[in-house]
This record gives sequence, structure tokens and C-alpha cells, in this order.
Amino acid sequence: MPFNIRMGVPEMAAVWSDLSTRKLQGTLGRDEEKFFRKLVKVLGFLGADPRHRSLQTHGIDVLTDKYGFKVFEAYLENRTPAAGRIFWAYGPDKGDITILGVEPHPDDKHGAYWRIKLSRLPFVSSKATPEGKKPT
Amino acid sequence: MITLLEVGKEKAGPVVVEEYDVAADAKRRISLRHSKTKYFRVRSLSDGSFLLEPRVLVPPKAIPARVMKMLDQSAANLKKGVVSPSIDLTPFQD
Repeated sequence: MPFNIRMGVPEMAAVWSDLSTRKLQGTLGRDEEKFFRKLVKVLGFLGADPRHRSLQTHGIDVLTDKYGFKVFEAYLENRTPAAGRIFWAYGPDKGDITILGVEPHPDDKHGAYWRIKLSRLPFVSSKATPEGKKPT
Repeated sequence: MITLLEVGKEKAGPVVVEEYDVAADAKRRISLRHSKTKYFRVRSLSDGSFLLEPRVLVPPKAIPARVMKMLDQSAANLKKGVVSPSIDLTPFQD
């Protein structure tokens, strides 16, 4: 049974609108073009069969618990962890699939930080000043 | 196991714990003393200064805060039945 693919509002819908418009205009950058091609392919598979082998669809319990409905994850590319993934859910109506989000975020900069994932330190202690030494 | 990433918040700003002069070597490298982390975000400023901000490796399965925000908004609207119209992939499929 084919599914209708819908986009989550507002960000995902805006991302799709922007990418699809610029694709038709031929103004996508090289990386954007690559990303968009993968996204279209995955959405095609998803619409035809959400359990398509190449999607490696699986439920995300932590998000399911958080939102109160079943949330799934599918990969944009096989055997490439950095390729990205989409998060989706069934609904709002029967026969609908809503794309909730996509990673990497389209506004993220490309380059080294795309490949090696780094984040700010969870917490940096502010009590590191040695005794008797005033900070300058 | 998926981890949700949240940026930690400091109550007070950072303080200077050490200050020293260094000379870059022949390959323009300097060594950091007593560095607590392996990875840094480096910002090179127009006045010749460099600003280093410690970073940590993120578990590959973790969901970044920015993506999490996107999911939160989409999920809240999906619960209300607010989603985009059905998209047409045919113009983009080969």
C-alpha cells in the first residue's frame, strides 16, 4: 500500500520547500544536490514500503516515549554512518507518513565537523582556579 | 541506544587558571599545557588571536540539539494534525 509523504511543520516543510524549489531552479550546491538526491530516493522507498530493506527502518524508543506515538528512524545511505538519517511517524491520517526531521540539519556547515562529530563539553567546571592564585 | 544531547550550562563564566608565553615551532605549532580535552574548536581572529573551545566526541547515535528542536516542533504539530500537504516526488525521481 503506497503512503502519502507529508512533512512536519514548520521546519521540515520549510526545508523541503526550499530544497525542492531550488532543485527545480537548478541552484542547489553540490553537497545539497547530493543530499537532496538521497532524500528523494529514501522518501520514494518510504512511500512505497516503510520496511524497505535499504532503509533499515527501526523504532526509536526514547522518542516514542517522549512524544507518545511510535517514531521511526531510517538511514539515507547504507554502510555510511555519516550519510544521515530521517525520523518519521505514521499519521496524521491512515496512509500518511510524516517526516519529523532530518539529520544532518540542512543549516549545518559541511567539512571536517561533518565527518567527526564534536560537541561542546557537557559541563566545564568553573572552580578550577588554584588556591591563592587570583584569576587575571 | 539513542542519546539526546543537551549543552551544559555554566553558572559562572570561565576563569584564567594558567597564563604563559609560547613560541611556535618550525611548523608553526604550539603545545597546550595541561589540556583537559583532545578536541577543540579553533577560531582565528582578525587581530592574530586564536580562540580555542573544548569539544567532545559525540556518540554517533546521538541526536543533536538542533535536530531535536526540529523533531519537537514537528511532533507537537503532528499531534494536532498539522502537517504539510502530501509531497510529489515525481519531478525529482529519475
